[in-house]
Amino acid sequence: MKILVITEQRQGKWNNTSFETLAAAQQIASAASGSVSAAVLGKSLDAFAAELASKNVAEVLQVEHDLLENYTPDGFCVALKQVVESTKPDLVLFPHTYQVRDFAPKLAAMLGKGMIGDCVAYRNEGGKLVFVRQMFQGKTAADVSFVGFGPWFASFQSGAFRADQVAASDSGAKPINKVSIDLKPEQIRTKPLDLFKEAKSAVDLTQAPLIVAIGRGIKAPENIPQAEAVAKALGAEIAASRPICDEGWLPMERQIGSSGQTVAPKLYLALGISGAIQHVVGMKGARTIVAINKDQNAPIFEIADYGVVGDIFEIMPALTEELQKAK
Amino acid sequence: MAVEREQLEADVLIVGAGPAGLSCALHLANLIKKHNESGAKPELSAENIYVLEKGREIGAHQLSGAIMNPKALRELVPDFEKSAPLDTPVTDSAALFFTQTSSFRFPITPPPFQNKGNYVVSLSKVVRWLGGLVESAGVNIFKEFGGAELVYENGAVAGVITEDKGLDKNGKPKDNYTPGYELRAKVTVLAEGTRGSLTKKLVADKKLDNINPQSYGIGIKELWDIQPGRVEPGYVAHTLGWPVSSDMYGGGWIYGLLNNRLSIGLVLALEYADPQFDPHAAFQKWKTHPHVKKILEGGKLVRYGAKSLPYGGWYAMPRNTVDGTLIIGDSGSFLDSQRLKGIHLAMKSGMLAAETIFEALKKGDSTSKTLGSFQQRVEQSYIRDEMWKVRNFHQSFQHGMLQGFVHTAFQQITGGRGLIDPMRADAGYKHYKKSNGAKPPANTEERFKGDGKLTFDRLTDVYHSGTRHNDDQPCHLHILDPDICVTKCVEEYGNPCQYFCPAAVYEMAKESSGSLKLKINFPNCVHCKTCDIADPYQVIDWVVPEGGGGPNYEGM
Amino acid sequence: MKIIVCIKQVPAKDAPLAIAGNWIKESDIGFEMNEPDSFALEEALRLKEKHGGEVIALSMGPERVKQTIKEALAKGADRAIHIADDNFAQLDPLGAASALAAAVKNENADLILTGLQSDDQGFGQTGVLLAALLDRPHATIIMAIEAAEGKLKLKRELEAGWFQHIECPLPAVLSIQSGINKVRYATLKGIMAAKKKEIATLTADSLGAKTEPTQKVEKIYVPIKSKKTEFISGPPKEVAAKLVEKLKFEARVI
Repeated sequence: MKILVITEQRQGKWNNTSFETLAAAQQIASAASGSVSAAVLGKSLDAFAAELASKNVAEVLQVEHDLLENYTPDGFCVALKQVVESTKPDLVLFPHTYQVRDFAPKLAAMLGKGMIGDCVAYRNEGGKLVFVRQMFQGKTAADVSFVGFGPWFASFQSGAFRADQVAASDSGAKPINKVSIDLKPEQIRTKPLDLFKEAKSAVDLTQAPLIVAIGRGIKAPENIPQAEAVAKALGAEIAASRPICDEGWLPMERQIGSSGQTVAPKLYLALGISGAIQHVVGMKGARTIVAINKDQNAPIFEIADYGVVGDIFEIMPALTEELQKAK
Repeated sequence: MAVEREQLEADVLIVGAGPAGLSCALHLANLIKKHNESGAKPELSAENIYVLEKGREIGAHQLSGAIMNPKALRELVPDFEKSAPLDTPVTDSAALFFTQTSSFRFPITPPPFQNKGNYVVSLSKVVRWLGGLVESAGVNIFKEFGGAELVYENGAVAGVITEDKGLDKNGKPKDNYTPGYELRAKVTVLAEGTRGSLTKKLVADKKLDNINPQSYGIGIKELWDIQPGRVEPGYVAHTLGWPVSSDMYGGGWIYGLLNNRLSIGLVLALEYADPQFDPHAAFQKWKTHPHVKKILEGGKLVRYGAKSLPYGGWYAMPRNTVDGTLIIGDSGSFLDSQRLKGIHLAMKSGMLAAETIFEALKKGDSTSKTLGSFQQRVEQSYIRDEMWKVRNFHQSFQHGMLQGFVHTAFQQITGGRGLIDPMRADAGYKHYKKSNGAKPPANTEERFKGDGKLTFDRLTDVYHSGTRHNDDQPCHLHILDPDICVTKCVEEYGNPCQYFCPAAVYEMAKESSGSLKLKINFPNCVHCKTCDIADPYQVIDWVVPEGGGGPNYEGM
Repeated sequence: MKIIVCIKQVPAKDAPLAIAGNWIKESDIGFEMNEPDSFALEEALRLKEKHGGEVIALSMGPERVKQTIKEALAKGADRAIHIADDNFAQLDPLGAASALAAAVKNENADLILTGLQSDDQGFGQTGVLLAALLDRPHATIIMAIEAAEGKLKLKRELEAGWFQHIECPLPAVLSIQSGINKVRYATLKGIMAAKKKEIATLTADSLGAKTEPTQKVEKIYVPIKSKKTEFISGPPKEVAAKLVEKLKFEARVI
């Protein structure tokens, strides 16, 4: 099985999930006696290519073109179609980034193929690859498999695999293949303009990969900064169960549950939340659930992966410190 | 605030798409169709009949046991047996007496509990189906719109104003603010169900009260998927005794629907003496009775709901006709208070209203001169036959079950007259015994928790009612004197709202200063109206929230 | 401006899910408009209010889908196209997009809008696939649209608080980010007017848009936690350290 990983970089920086996908590809390949190639697109990519070449891949495809310097769906699709047609992989893997969502399905369609997006896992069932993705906002999982011949296209959700599990090269720098592609300005219809940062006016918890949520156990609004410190140290969004938002201690958009948002993040840290059903339905699709509650019988422990029966006011500052150390 | 409202005009405006409102609409549409086909003048249109429904879907707010007497449906839709989604005819009617540990089936089921010829149904399904027929007949049903205010003109009811949408919780307009419509109609029909909010105001304004104030009960229901073979479809059982004490009026029910679905519940009169009595907890307790527990073992809770019922009977029915308006269904108290059956009476009242309105439209007169024939029609129909016989039934139980049985025995042999006719009754909320500080309000942490499998705490149950409200809107539960809640009521009654609300809407929270504050979790509201009914000071005014909000009683 | 909005009808958010193979039991549950699509519809209606033109609601599925279509018409869409297909839930993203593309091929719309993804299957590919099949330029996760002189200036959302402006020619296909506007209520007049608006019903067969499936959902299931809760105990500092270690190396979430 020949696997091609499409990595992502922007303005001189990697999107690190690219390496998670590389790790996934290596795992799939090792069980299917396959090979993994990694591609990077853009302009002035020598350093990127070299870094990829230090990993255990069959080859690195350095796809450079002036018109690929800034991402456009047209540019990337035209380029990658040529790459796929010439390298003939069986499986093309992407990290499921905002950018990949923008072009990968089109790329697959241009080749008459389908894409299974936002997968959280895969299984090798006696040679057949089955991809697992979430449905119904994380309430269910779905096993999806490809029909017909490849190339197949799939993307993995951020955090489904671990970037630091990428195997390094077993024999020095792997070959870098500078791929030339044919791309004309008139083929690119959208024009990317300025990139800018903005404080998001609205919170979208459904997109947050890490969430720290507080419940009645927080007792008073004055205590919320302690939870916010944990969230900051984690790089997580703060959220809450209904009573907290009802009191006005946090805005309504931060509410998780049957009358708030339904989320399925990588990590859900529940502080002082009992786990009543109307809250749980909003978050039980989370990949890893950590619950801290002083009541050992709190229903939240029934769905938690890790539980701490303790006082959140003692654990929160300790956790903040440990998280900052781990950064 | 002085708002610019868009005006719309209809011939007939029906507030509420329940069995009464929909039967009225369908019957009227049929009458209009025949009328037009015969070439009679003036030509009328079913499209000028508007029905308002505050729920998300037709049937979303319908809750009943339910055992339906098909006689009205048979008149309205003669081939109903082929098309109506009725679960099953009743196959067995049992009356059970519960003690704490055992149950005893009456060898002969007393007549009020006999249900041969009736159907076990999901009222929500039936109403939904009926709504389909009404829409096919050309009537306009507007879902997610409630009647917020009556429009008067020269003392007559001229229409209804629908609720404002898009106000935030402080009452300020949001981006999508849409003021309510002023819907004018020649005839407005109030079919709002139990304790209708417009009806309540109309009855007060126009002094439509009868000699007895209305009496209400609360019905708390759960729908379960049970293990096959436990209960046959069509099996109907009513239970008396445990855990309802003999000074209270009420009992449980167990109805077998199709596909191993079971309807269970407890009905209790909202006229008990202990202000801190908890009907929801009583229902959960009832489920732990060995007879019920055995049936539910291995089953799964599907849905939960609660609703009040108006069973004051004949002498509590408000005057139902005012210039420009008719009151039908539960809003008009069309309910047999002995058998607690109101679906067929609601439908019949709707049909009789339709006939009355038809005359009014033809004549071009919607004053009580023409509309007054509604009451005549009611008195000449089986509505009166049924309700007259039990006109003193409910009042008999004011002082407990034993006295009740004595009175009703006499009523049985005297065609309803009994020992006292008319028997007077007090409003339920007047029955509370003041606790005078003896009982502090509940500590939420000590409230009934349930085991999560057979019994449930209130919040878990509410979750299963599918109730949803846009959180960012003004609270639809108006406390007319909020001071009472934290002063007088604490002392005298211990804040019964925390106990009688089956949806955990009301909470007395302790502030950090130690003082109490009333917290209203209005998004939990299941629109049962119990608070409006049972509050001892009558300061809770339930008004219609933004349309679409409320429970989702699919299958109930 | 002629704008087509793709609107999906999905099981109601709070509907209890009874799994049946690779889909759910559809009886006894409520359905509603896919919330992300309601933002796309609102955006379309606002564009029409600003620039004039027509908004067409496009939906696919069994007869019950007409309910959601009527809602779109009640909110202000001018007419609708319903692709009748009882087996819609079984279609893969390319199959669904192919049918949608075939239905609108001859409409020559200036803009086709979709929501970001559906709350049920959540493939999130419809907009991009439509653009590919109709050979139109596209952009996704759009927060704002400005139209002037046959061109669009778009604001697109990226990760980590970054945004980008994009210039895009017409005709185009856009996927709209959720929550960018306050969705309007259907008015009484709108509901009544909706009854008279046209809903053209087509079938996938008549469109000749049948494609071979590229992927198959084998089954759906409630993910069972494979391991029991691991409790971490000890003094707070120790617990915190252990927890961070587990999250880093075992759960691999940080």
